[in-house]
Amino acid sequence: MAKSVFDDPQKTLYPKLPKIADLAPGKDRGLVSTKLHVFKADDPVGPKLHWDPIHRIDQDPWKDFREIMRVEWKMEITYRHCLGKYSKFFIELENKKFLATECPKCGFVWAIPRPVCPDCLAITTWKELPGTGTLASYSISEFVPSFMKVEIPYVLAMVKMDGADSLFTHQLRNWGTDRTKIKTGMPIKVAYTKEPVVHPMLLMWFEPA
Amino acid sequence: MSDRRVFVLGGGISKMAAERPDGNIRDWVVEAVMEAVVDAGVEIADIDHATVSYFSDHFDKQLKQGAIFHDCVGMCPKPNVRVEGGGGTGGLAIRNAYAYIKSGLCDSMIVYGTENMGRHVPSDVAQQFIALASDTDWEVQVAGFYIAYYAMMMRAHMDMYGTKEEQFALVSVKNHRNAIYNEYAQSPMKITVDDVMNSPLITSPYKVLDNCLLSDGASCLIFATEEWAKAHSTSWHRKPRIEMVGTGCGTDYMRLADRPYPYPGIAHFRSKRVASEQAFKMAGIKNPAKELDCFEVHDAYSGVEMVSCEDIGLCGLGQSGKLYEEGYFDLGGELPVNTSGGLIGMGHPVGATGVNQGIEVLKQLRQEVDPRRQAKIINGQGGMDSHGGTGTFVAINIFRRVD
Repeated sequence: MAKSVFDDPQKTLYPKLPKIADLAPGKDRGLVSTKLHVFKADDPVGPKLHWDPIHRIDQDPWKDFREIMRVEWKMEITYRHCLGKYSKFFIELENKKFLATECPKCGFVWAIPRPVCPDCLAITTWKELPGTGTLASYSISEFVPSFMKVEIPYVLAMVKMDGADSLFTHQLRNWGTDRTKIKTGMPIKVAYTKEPVVHPMLLMWFEPA
Repeated sequence: MSDRRVFVLGGGISKMAAERPDGNIRDWVVEAVMEAVVDAGVEIADIDHATVSYFSDHFDKQLKQGAIFHDCVGMCPKPNVRVEGGGGTGGLAIRNAYAYIKSGLCDSMIVYGTENMGRHVPSDVAQQFIALASDTDWEVQVAGFYIAYYAMMMRAHMDMYGTKEEQFALVSVKNHRNAIYNEYAQSPMKITVDDVMNSPLITSPYKVLDNCLLSDGASCLIFATEEWAKAHSTSWHRKPRIEMVGTGCGTDYMRLADRPYPYPGIAHFRSKRVASEQAFKMAGIKNPAKELDCFEVHDAYSGVEMVSCEDIGLCGLGQSGKLYEEGYFDLGGELPVNTSGGLIGMGHPVGATGVNQGIEVLKQLRQEVDPRRQAKIINGQGGMDSHGGTGTFVAINIFRRVD
């Protein structure tokens, strides 16, 4: 009988597999030049099943299929991504202007611009905002996935922009060191970069006003 | 709507785990299907149609995966369709099965739900893939990712109602505990509120143990009309009959920032209110908290379960915190929620998650689960809530025992 996860439910299911990258060439990898790993898998379901539709209790039904191979497969993708009809927002960030769109029909100002007001299906007009507002909510992250190039702790903020009816989401920076000073309702302003950035959205961020 | 009635004949699960290198995604689907056909007492050859439920094309770098699942279980050349709605995919797939059968397009439907999210890619890359399910122009570029969005929502809830971190820690304690009695669950654990509070902070106010899991696994449900079941299901006369009696779907703006005030603002799930109102109306349920025996709620994060209970109408807005303290939603409480362990205790292989929820409600209503996690079946009704994004897609489905 294969080992069961129920022998120690606190533990992860499998003993940690070696990272493919750590395997020695030759013996572990055979004639295939790609990094790969061959191992014997355990039965992930143990004998203590409350309900046993395919008769695991007597035997491992997959006993002839427990030898497993994993191979490393690397893919790299680059996109030519179009920012569409709201491109002007990003273009004007270079000029330190914060633009929103206003619906000519209902008057709603969308802080994150939309070429069409979704409530009226009317084509909007560009409107420059003062770039100030108040903090509607925030979160402080001690961890971010490594593809996101930000310093930790990192604050994501939702700001009610002055002159707009909806919120805008961006990083809150330069808030000092005392995180208890970050409070819902505090005044916020848009700040602009002087340094080169990797994406036009990062030409700006929020700071305490 | 037609007067055709839609029944759930059976379900099967392939173990939820942080890593399932004993097989690949198609192997898990096959395992889940093998269990489901036994449970339903049907032959796969008799089933009319399939719905495929998976969310991401990135995790398995395989497009058109539904075609593979379909041919692995001998369903070719019969019809097949894929449904996708982020984390709500499974709930939408069940709703799709209902719609196809109800309309007369087919008499029976098999739903394959799965996702390959464990350690197929590093968890860092997994987070990146999941982040792609938020707005890539406006949110991802500012380093937005899901824990951070949900944390902002919970911060707003705390500001509005005085909800405490210890209260949503109770959700994690309950769901890991319920998972102890579920052999398919990924994370059975006996933990305390202190354990949750002292686990490493990820994004304030959420700690590691407030989070759901990245999982491998698959699940399968089989639906049919009464006539089809009488002709093809050996379980029909042996097992309690479970009918799908209500379904609802709601949506909201992709970006939290665009949602209207005061409701939902950024604290609530308007989509759940819309979906649950439709589903309860269809099922003829007036007081969900009293008329339902169990509910599976989409607990992507502990606080999400609390807020969901409020927006679905299982309790009043802002009242869930107190009810969690009283054990209202525990096993043995007034309305047990996430008896399976939910996304936090059982696991969250996205496309399989909603299907798992459907299976849990099916087995609860049949009183077939481990007795230690069996809810009291009084009204014979249970529900499930499956959502994608920050409540961007929601499907709510209601089931009733009719024997």
